[in-house]
Amino acid sequence: MILASTAVGLLIAMAFALTRAIKGPTVYDRILASNALGTKTVLIIAVLGFLVGDPGHYIDIALMYVLIGFIGTIAVLKVSEFGDLGQTQPVDSEPPK
Amino acid sequence: MNDNPVLRIVAKIIIPMILIFGLYVQFHGDFGPGGGFQAGVIFATGFILYGLVFGTDALRSAIPAPILRIVIAGGLLLYVGVGVATLLMGSDFLAYNVLGSTPSGGQHLGIFLVELGVGVTVSAVMITVFLGFAGRNDP
Repeated sequence: MILASTAVGLLIAMAFALTRAIKGPTVYDRILASNALGTKTVLIIAVLGFLVGDPGHYIDIALMYVLIGFIGTIAVLKVSEFGDLGQTQPVDSEPPK
Repeated sequence: MNDNPVLRIVAKIIIPMILIFGLYVQFHGDFGPGGGFQAGVIFATGFILYGLVFGTDALRSAIPAPILRIVIAGGLLLYVGVGVATLLMGSDFLAYNVLGSTPSGGQHLGIFLVELGVGVTVSAVMITVFLGFAGRNDP
């Protein structure tokens, strides 16, 4: 019961984060929202593992999601800041608004 | 991004964890979620993070392109080699039972080698794809 209500609460929080990611006026709003969405996804994977009764496997998946999601955020930030994935310096001096 | 201390330190801390987790997914694949393809992608992710933070030039000097090409071909060769080995030992293509003294031991060894080939190839291909996309604007 506790786990099910936790899952419902997480789904509501994910809906809010998704709304901000779609409506967000600036790119930083969207990045923050997608980051929060990733964190909620990790939590809901862990909760789902305990709901199904097989937490070991699901926590493996949650750990992997943490690692990959961090890199996705860095890649999106780098593209929005530098306009390129490979350079360590900005390609064009005008960062996107 | 190289001059951002937070990103640099976090990347240096997290890259070994990603590589260890990739190896865990590779070798734990028969008991949990995982396998060669997933492990290869996770393992390549560590290198991709290195390329993102320190630049594609640093990644290219860490893994030169000729080595990547050899590794791509080597993983596929390992996969097909296991199949040809089972053919030569008098069974069907990729019938692992003849590889060991017992059928179960043969299947363990065969699946281990095949998944290792898949993981190595996928990892090298992912790094090559990242270098191909990220290095478009390189001088």
